[in-house]
Amino acid sequence: MTYEPANTGAAAPREPIFAISSRTVVFGAVGAALYAVLGLFSFIIPGTQSVAVRPAFALVPFFGKRFGVVAGFFVGFVGNAIIDLISGYGLTFWNWSVANGLVGAFAGLIFAYLPPIRGEALRLVVTALGSLAATALGLLFVITDIWVQGIDFTTFLTLNYGPALLANGIAVVILTPALDAVWEPLSKRTGR
Amino acid sequence: MDVTPRYLGAGSFLSRRDPRVLLLVPVLYLVAVAGIDDLRAILACTVAALVYYRAAGIPWRGVRANWAFMLAFTTLLVVVNSVITSTDTRAGGEVLFTVPLTGSDITWATLSYAATVLVRYISLAMVSFPVAFNIRPSDLGVAFARLGLSQRLAYGVDLTFRFLPSTWASFRETIDAQRIRGYEHPRGRNPVKRLLALKPVVIPVTVNALIDAEDTVNAMDLRGFGGRTRTWMRELAFDRVDYSILAGFAAMAAVMVAARFLGLTESVWVP
Repeated sequence: MTYEPANTGAAAPREPIFAISSRTVVFGAVGAALYAVLGLFSFIIPGTQSVAVRPAFALVPFFGKRFGVVAGFFVGFVGNAIIDLISGYGLTFWNWSVANGLVGAFAGLIFAYLPPIRGEALRLVVTALGSLAATALGLLFVITDIWVQGIDFTTFLTLNYGPALLANGIAVVILTPALDAVWEPLSKRTGR
Repeated sequence: MDVTPRYLGAGSFLSRRDPRVLLLVPVLYLVAVAGIDDLRAILACTVAALVYYRAAGIPWRGVRANWAFMLAFTTLLVVVNSVITSTDTRAGGEVLFTVPLTGSDITWATLSYAATVLVRYISLAMVSFPVAFNIRPSDLGVAFARLGLSQRLAYGVDLTFRFLPSTWASFRETIDAQRIRGYEHPRGRNPVKRLLALKPVVIPVTVNALIDAEDTVNAMDLRGFGGRTRTWMRELAFDRVDYSILAGFAAMAAVMVAARFLGLTESVWVP
């Protein structure tokens, strides 16, 4: 199985979709470090009790789209795990780290199979929608809280999944296309 | 702000262990306590978790904020889910009182089950905290590699910790540079405006890191990264004590799973 990242004709080399090259490792590590550092900052949406927007979450689908499934998963999983380590929670919320990783992996898969888009405006819209879809799919993994935390489905939907999707959805719709727009000419220049 | 994980348990009994022990014990403990409804069984497991936590030698001053948050969060979760509402509760026996707004009947079984869930969370935190505070960050990569993770991804974990300080420095530098140009932290209430206002910081930090990463990729390729076998500076080896700890927790997990299958721990204990 091969893929070509969905950009506007950047000279991306074709490689197996789950390949782990030096590029995957380094960009995954850089993304995880960025997510860990920027992810320490968040703000509460006014009018809600605990819906915190973490702007750095936008990096997860961005790395998935630009650097592939493995790098996307690595950024979300390792980045979130490091935030938990720095905060001192160890592996207590391991399933949320997996969910973050799956967002990056789904972004990598979605954009790997989308055809190249020439128009910039349309590409940015597709990037926002694809990232939102990846977020919605990946965060579904927190349904495991039903077994890990012993909550019921309604609690999962209203207190866990819904607020997380709202908060992270806002971040990816605004920041992921912005990051992608800036990286597009640079990726062409480096021939990647 | 410190952006690297804190290594608080230096010199303690657990810090001298192979880091793989500290990664495997929480997994075994989770297997042991999952699905237990009997307070006596969970308390027995908690004694083992407490001994393990004491062996970590984590100073209280360094983690009291973590414990305060963890206890407040889990207590709230348990009280709401298992006492105030009937989201995750057990009933049976004489009704002691009824919660006014939700109408939930509180019995000894309800309270015993809520205590079981709360103690389970606390004991899980006891075995999880050493992962955060007793493993040197530089040991995580080799520990994952020796646990069977792909050598390349394990090196990626190692690399991530090395990038943390430089990423943090770049972040501070970018904020200072943008402030000279008139940038101020967004303070409004509108989340969309606050996110848009973060673009002058998030985008340069990300793009600079990616451009620098190209040099790292080239350097690694030139040095033949990704060969079939990889060696690590740090050699890991289980000693007898490591095996004993793992065997102890594995035995506890096996006993608790067997007890669950035999139906010994699935009913709520009522004194």
